Amino acid sequence: MTSSKKVVLLGHFGVGKTSLFRRFIDNAFSEDYKVTLGVQIKKKVVELPNGKELSMIIWDTEGHTDIEDTRKSYLLGSHAFIYVFDSTREETYKNINEDLAYLTNIHSKVLIKVIGNKIDLIKEKTAKDQLKALNINVDCFTSAKTNKNVHEFFLDLANELTS
Amino acid sequence: MDEQDKLILLKKLLLTEENEFAQSIAKKVEELNTIVHKKNELSNKVDPIIDDKLEEFVKEIPKTLGPTITEALKEEIKNSQDAVVDALFPIIGKMIKKYIAHEMKLLSENISNRTKSAFSFKKWLRNTKAKASGVKSGDMAISDYGKPKLIQMFVIEKESGLLIAEYSPLSQGTIDKEMIAGMLTAIKSFVEDAFQGGDQNLEMIEYELHTIHIQNFYSYYIAAVIAGSYSMMFKEILEDQILDFAQHHISRKDLEDSTLFTKKLKKHFADDIV
Repeated sequence: MTSSKKVVLLGHFGVGKTSLFRRFIDNAFSEDYKVTLGVQIKKKVVELPNGKELSMIIWDTEGHTDIEDTRKSYLLGSHAFIYVFDSTREETYKNINEDLAYLTNIHSKVLIKVIGNKIDLIKEKTAKDQLKALNINVDCFTSAKTNKNVHEFFLDLANELTS
Repeated sequence: MDEQDKLILLKKLLLTEENEFAQSIAKKVEELNTIVHKKNELSNKVDPIIDDKLEEFVKEIPKTLGPTITEALKEEIKNSQDAVVDALFPIIGKMIKKYIAHEMKLLSENISNRTKSAFSFKKWLRNTKAKASGVKSGDMAISDYGKPKLIQMFVIEKESGLLIAEYSPLSQGTIDKEMIAGMLTAIKSFVEDAFQGGDQNLEMIEYELHTIHIQNFYSYYIAAVIAGSYSMMFKEILEDQILDFAQHHISRKDLEDSTLFTKKLKKHFADDIV
């Protein structure tokens, strides 16, 4: 039997949430930027190393500069949050620790992962140094454009959600 | 005194204590034997004592065990709030619904009496047509409207929007059902948030000839896609069927076992609703 998990993508405008969503689900990428209104939902069935399947129901939410503006009902019943930021724009990650504390406070049992996207536009070491200076921990650096680490990240997440 | 007598005397002197002990044991065994064999006698003596003690125990239960049991029940209910509310939700819903239905019926009858004359021509026309075609007047009245049909039914977890069970008697659909469940939940959340209706719930979505009937419960909701005329009468019947299903067929275990729940859903809604 395939079990299902709800995963919500969060973060500022234009950080690449929808691009990651499309890259993982449809293996597609477009340079055209179309702002997400509300939410879009898609499903990807992932095969786990133990042979079982996991149905990942991914909610790609509209971007907000303040996490508290995210529609609270979209977050309910989630199994994981993916907080995405743009590795090239400090304003998308400078408040990340406060945002994560806000999420943890309301949804203490939900797994939270932090992704630094658009890593194709900056040297990974530079990004890491900048984040280290701000005391920010990142789970993974990705590029939806070049497909770097996208599938690997989601597969690892699927494994963690079922372990 | 010969040898034999001497031996007896010596034996008597040496074994005096043992003999006394053996005699006392034999006496006790005999007494116990008497008691055991006189069971009735024992029963007569013991039964009233036991009865008294039992009666006293029963009387004391509310005082001694009562608070402990109450506390244990309170704790159990506190720990299983979701399960309790899930069980009560359909029952309370049904009670309120019946009350409102009764009041509406009275109001409807009142209005019907007042407007009867206004629609008399329509009635006469239908009767005339019925006589000519041989079809009953009532059937003809019903056939004026498209008969409602259940196309698809979804049971969805309220918060996450995850699909728990689904039944599609008339359509397999082109979109993944888990995505439909998610989008329905997102639309529902959006409407409920956007218009700040407090604890109000979205109950219906209409599009051309289809209606999505939404019935909310505590931790889940049921969405039924209906084609044809979604009349108040049909709504009433559908609501009752869903409430009945929720009350008698949905347990906490079902909400966690999608396969079993889907089977139950198919079985319950296999027949035409109207």
